[in-house]
Amino acid sequence: MPSHAEASEKFIADAQRTDWHDETLWFVREKRDKAAMVLREWEALREHASQIKDHTLANLGSYLQAFEAKAQANGIHVHWAADAAEHNAIVHQIIAKQGSKVLVKSKSMLTEECHLNDYLANKGIEVVDTDLGERIVQFRNEAPSHIVLPAIHLKREDVGETFHQHLGTPKGNKDPQFLTEAARQHLRGHFLASEVAITGVNFAIAETGEFVVCTNEGNADMGAHLAKVHIACMGIEKIIPKREDLAVFLRLLARSATGQLITTYSSHFHKPREGQEMHIVLLDNGRTRQLADPKYKNSLKCIRCAACFNTCPVYRRSGGHSYHQPVAGPIGSILAPNIDKKANADLPFASTLCGSCSNVCPVKINIHEQLWFWRQDLMAAGLAPVGKTIGMKLMAFTLAHPAIYRIGGSLLRRFSGMLNTRLNPWYKQREMPEAPKVSFQEWYKKR
Amino acid sequence: MRVALFVPCYIDQFYPQVAVASLELLEKLGCEVVVPADQTCCGQPMANSGFASSTEGCDTNFTTNFAGFDYIVGPSGSCVLHLKEHHPSEKIRNSVYEICEFLTDVLKVTSLSAKFSHRVGLHQSCHGQRGLRLSSMTERNEKSFSKLEDLLGLVEGVEILKPERADECCGFGGTFCVTEEAVSVKMGQDRIKEHDANAVEYIVGADTSCLMHMEGILRRQGSSIQVKHIVEILNHA
Amino acid sequence: MSAREQILGKMEALEPVNHPGNFKGASVDFDFQASLEVVGARVLTAEALEIEFPRRRRYDKTLDGLSLAEVEVLEIDGEFGVAENGAIWLTEEAMPHRVAPFICQHLVINVSKIVPNMHAAYEELKKPSSSFGLFLAGPSKTADIEQSLVIGAHGARSLTVVIRA
Repeated sequence: MPSHAEASEKFIADAQRTDWHDETLWFVREKRDKAAMVLREWEALREHASQIKDHTLANLGSYLQAFEAKAQANGIHVHWAADAAEHNAIVHQIIAKQGSKVLVKSKSMLTEECHLNDYLANKGIEVVDTDLGERIVQFRNEAPSHIVLPAIHLKREDVGETFHQHLGTPKGNKDPQFLTEAARQHLRGHFLASEVAITGVNFAIAETGEFVVCTNEGNADMGAHLAKVHIACMGIEKIIPKREDLAVFLRLLARSATGQLITTYSSHFHKPREGQEMHIVLLDNGRTRQLADPKYKNSLKCIRCAACFNTCPVYRRSGGHSYHQPVAGPIGSILAPNIDKKANADLPFASTLCGSCSNVCPVKINIHEQLWFWRQDLMAAGLAPVGKTIGMKLMAFTLAHPAIYRIGGSLLRRFSGMLNTRLNPWYKQREMPEAPKVSFQEWYKKR
Repeated sequence: MRVALFVPCYIDQFYPQVAVASLELLEKLGCEVVVPADQTCCGQPMANSGFASSTEGCDTNFTTNFAGFDYIVGPSGSCVLHLKEHHPSEKIRNSVYEICEFLTDVLKVTSLSAKFSHRVGLHQSCHGQRGLRLSSMTERNEKSFSKLEDLLGLVEGVEILKPERADECCGFGGTFCVTEEAVSVKMGQDRIKEHDANAVEYIVGADTSCLMHMEGILRRQGSSIQVKHIVEILNHA
Repeated sequence: MSAREQILGKMEALEPVNHPGNFKGASVDFDFQASLEVVGARVLTAEALEIEFPRRRRYDKTLDGLSLAEVEVLEIDGEFGVAENGAIWLTEEAMPHRVAPFICQHLVINVSKIVPNMHAAYEELKKPSSSFGLFLAGPSKTADIEQSLVIGAHGARSLTVVIRA
């Protein structure tokens, strides 16, 4: 697996596409700004949402149990999964009982986290992703590159070619309207035929036992309402206490995500349809570990709006796949090390710590501070790249001893020309600063 | 007023003119400026690389040099933010100021005898802006303000031009600039492009590290745009 | 130990934090019609609707999910609209089937009550809720191809709202 830095270098090699990617996502950030700035209470809403989440996380156990009891009373089957393997096994069991070989699934980052599609494919069950962007990347055998805009790394001609190959659309047709219509017809067939539908969950309400799913396309509803069996998969952190709390979160979610006033569909599933079977799978998969660590607990507030992706100057110029994780961007970089430190040790370093992510976050997660904490934890765990530890210790030693620092500094200035080599990553595309004859301290002594 | 001038290591070695301008400017404004001789570094390069556990010697040295002062002033938003957030001594954390905030908030400067008749592109460094709140931020729904612009407004002849994305990061990011070289340079190039579109003569900011990064790219490009720390302009006769 | 016990067992030692209560100080100065336009819906008078969609299917229990796929224009009643975002609250009771507003080609919704914002909306929804309900704001849409907006992804291709006194 290439590191974030290696993958980014490859991405940036196509400068034109990088500029396009950057500008497209910046446009989404600007739409978000517009939608946020028209509400004079915007910052108060963020603070309120953050406090609701603080409260919820502090009482997560009792809210989960309250939710479970209400949901069961509403006729919903509730399952608990400690990890991805348990989650996948539960979902498979439900599908196997129904005997389905093909099913529809709307967007769920959690099922990406669990690699559910691959797991079910191995059991001979085909999952048809129904979100347009997800269907596109699924055809291409790629992962989503953005949690809200899964195919944002692709241009219309890429999609045209993919649909030509998989849906038989005319070669060369790259009109978004036409391609979307082709997907509509193709997926409608699956909606009408599927007996099982899987959806994600945006919010689950402890007070009522209902859950809310937000989409713009209507694909979650098309799947869930036509299927005999609806399976909703959620992380345990998606709980909120009361129905009224939804007002705060629904106001923040779409404005932060796409600059819309609200998602087109915000569906409240309270009880199964007559004759329908409804399941909820509650997944931990490391979340309780995060909850127990005060440094990282806040990351569980995330409502998956991706505003931090769109504002991140690094994400915009490196693309989602460079993060080699289902959730990319700044939030992904603080979530991923919790699941696998070693595999994701590069991600907290894929940031300049500029802090823009924390500023746009609708629930006020201190993302850039958590990136900093992860850096410390990962280095303490011995996951530094070769040579870095020695280099850092040497630097720390030099800077702790003024006399050595002065000698080192003067040597560095005298021989700085030697750093003008391709082996020096700074020098690859930048000149070294010109070294002055005397340092400030030397000048000051003679003043 | 007695002030200790904190000169970050890379400014001491590579940008002494920034420290000279800081010293002269503070003296002009009536401060008694002391430069502790054995100062080195704030410790940020190690800490931001994940080695905060190795900065003890550096922190102790900083305390030895600066603990006796109520005002520690430095011309680097990033280093100052690091000290404010991570230095183990509460006295140090509470006494350290970035020079612009020291001028506007403590000295409450309302006039300067400086002149600089040039087109100046303003670079907001992230740690100065978002960390130290030197200006309002485009992500937030808040009243617009800028300590840097307030100060530049006191200089005769300056024409301030802002890039289209007024507070996007330049991509320096400490060791990020070498470990993520490709993204870092691309970010810097994109910032420069916007300043270039404004036909600026200088890119000006309160963080020499950002300026060093952009200067490196500018010089490689053969650009005529130069970089200057804001104190060099505030001190410009 | 079951996954349930495992998960709940890890949550016992957390410090309590208070719920901040209901949000106060929300803006109320929104225009429902303007918001409807933003979300891509069309507002027609009752008379104009007759001219535009003379043939349309009203709410009818005989329609099931699959036959709804053949419905060109479906008309249903919304409970109320939300001025701040153009969303309309619909419940299962007002529809022939939950899939109705999604599967028909064109949707017409009658609204006679408008609340200013989402906080007011959930005040309305305090009373016993229905088995399924949703906020619907405009026609189905996607921007998954190059961020270019396309109306009519999977759900209704158009939404017409009739505000009736």
